[in-house]
Amino acid sequence: MLSLAILIIASGCKKKPLSQNLNAENKVEVRPVTLFFEGPELLLVRETRNVGLPENPAGALSIVTRELLKGSSNAGVPPIFPRDTVVRATFLLPDGTAFIDLGGNTLTQGWGTGSHEELMAVYSVVQTVTTNFPDAKRVRILVNDEPAETLAGHVNLSRALLPSATYVAR
Amino acid sequence: MTRSFSLLAIAFASALLLLAQAPTPAPPNPANQATLRAAAGDKTITVAHQNGNTYFAADEVIASLGGSVTRDGNGFKASLNNTVAAFGTDSRFGVVKDDLIEMPVAPVTIDNRPFVPWQFFQGFLIRASGLDATWDAAGKILQVHPAQTTAAGVTVSVANVQGISKVVLTLTAPVDYSIVKEPGAYTVRFKTAIRAPYVEQAQDDPNVARTSFIGNDLRIQLTVPDVVADAYRLENPFRVVLDLRKGAAVAPGTPQPLNSTRPVESPGIHTIVIDPGHGGKEVGAIGPGGLMEKDATLALCRRLAAALEAKLKTRVVLTRNDDTVVPLDQRTAIANQYHADLFISIHMNAAIVKGAHGAETYFLSLDASDKLAEKAAELENASKNPAGPAASSDLKLMLWDLAQQEYLNESSRLAQAVQEEMNRITGIQSRGVKQAPFKVLVGATMPAALVEVAFITNPDEESKIKSDAFQKTVVDALTTAVERYKTDYETRIGIVQPTPVAPTTTAPAAPTTTATKPMTRTGT
Repeated sequence: MLSLAILIIASGCKKKPLSQNLNAENKVEVRPVTLFFEGPELLLVRETRNVGLPENPAGALSIVTRELLKGSSNAGVPPIFPRDTVVRATFLLPDGTAFIDLGGNTLTQGWGTGSHEELMAVYSVVQTVTTNFPDAKRVRILVNDEPAETLAGHVNLSRALLPSATYVAR
Repeated sequence: MTRSFSLLAIAFASALLLLAQAPTPAPPNPANQATLRAAAGDKTITVAHQNGNTYFAADEVIASLGGSVTRDGNGFKASLNNTVAAFGTDSRFGVVKDDLIEMPVAPVTIDNRPFVPWQFFQGFLIRASGLDATWDAAGKILQVHPAQTTAAGVTVSVANVQGISKVVLTLTAPVDYSIVKEPGAYTVRFKTAIRAPYVEQAQDDPNVARTSFIGNDLRIQLTVPDVVADAYRLENPFRVVLDLRKGAAVAPGTPQPLNSTRPVESPGIHTIVIDPGHGGKEVGAIGPGGLMEKDATLALCRRLAAALEAKLKTRVVLTRNDDTVVPLDQRTAIANQYHADLFISIHMNAAIVKGAHGAETYFLSLDASDKLAEKAAELENASKNPAGPAASSDLKLMLWDLAQQEYLNESSRLAQAVQEEMNRITGIQSRGVKQAPFKVLVGATMPAALVEVAFITNPDEESKIKSDAFQKTVVDALTTAVERYKTDYETRIGIVQPTPVAPTTTAPAAPTTTATKPMTRTGT
């Protein structure tokens, strides 16, 4: 609920909405989005998918992030996040910080995985958000609506993360 | 005369009648009122009490300061000086700019109006107008005043590490202080203003019952009277640490001022902290055969510690030597406490991609240097027109990043030596030296690296990790790497004569910092 409120505020404050047509905020249009999944070379690879998105970027952010958590359309590419992970809310602030609030039993109880997998998970979100939403310059990940230290004991989530090409296959 | 008197009597009687018929104003209810004390003067505001918490009518307070609070969707937004904060009744966190406002409890709505804990105003005003808010519960006064730019923010963490309760006070700026032992408590008395994060908080700790702020004092209430403390301070960021453990009682009331600085240490590598990743309920990754990362790292680190002590004659400290949870920030706090010259965190890797294998070594990544430069320029401009604590906080963050940069070059060299020796001695595939924003490396005031020995999720490598022979080769590799780095470093700073044999060290590619100076630390 809080996030919804913030979402609305954020969308109202944005200087450059994706659509120039401000009368079409609720219009849903199928558009290509770029999602990042882990490839065989242990780096993130792009996957383009057509998704119905509202013109309002704040609303679209939530949908794109949920689309990422659905996993790759290629059955051979395993999901990065635990299967029970959910996107609780998303919001985009006028200064370019996107907040992604994740939840689910595994993340709540403590995800037991290594640093590589955690890096892939975190940066799949960071790269997906910043690639599809040019106004999003950095991404802060929350867990259950609260600041999280890490997802699995490694990657520092106490600050917003900038996109990094280091984790993406060329 | 009689007529005049009659008219006067009628007028008086009418006035009495009107007074009698006028609606009686509701009697003031002091329990639901408080005073807002701001630059414009005092004003009565509405408060509410629920479940032991006091809430303030957000719309009244913000309007009194020249802003507004409006409903927005299912939440509310507060606006003041073109700064917008969002909050709702389902979360104890509000959002302002790119940061969160932490409140002890979530706001509530009463008669469709938003009521918030006073900490909301503290978090919002300081960003919106350079103002601060404090709540005097006894006097029932919510005071809004210019934020003291000299007031240092403080956060408190309490964790029990191997029987010792570590109370870490992290401050946004160095602050003089003294520590006083009282019956059943220690009090940290800050000599300049601080911004307390809360009034009182219960602690789930065997030695610490609760922590509470009274003015500029932090009172640490003990569970039993015979708890003794070692206190010291750490730099970058400035921290005051109290290690509390059960022991002989100190004479009550004896002030125990802490030395502001400690002797400068001699340069060179004398103390190494080895960090077995994970522990306790934080099991880390689990192999297909059931091997837990926390067990594999502890076994390996115990052997590594023994080997380093035997071969290098250095002091080696483990951040944990049993199956317990050690918070990430406490791990580097331990390294800083022991004046460690190197910090090495040992982990086992995991991947969902089948067949992932090999070793990799990380050191800390920070924001790109151009980002730092950009922020420095912004802050330089901001400093010409002081923008209050928000800018100050950014400045501290940047300075902290820059302080970390000092160690990155050495961390890079350490990581390079580790990765090369791991590849050379164990034969495991090298996945290279990398940088990542790993939490456990943040805050280390010494060269620090995190080694991913092998992929525990790979059945072949899980078997290797279990084997005595592989563990021995990994220990050999890491010991050789540390020895190589130690010799290289001590040669570069001039305390070891260079050997005529051509070094095998490969100069690291990044970061590009070239100046190397002896890494001596004070005050740790």
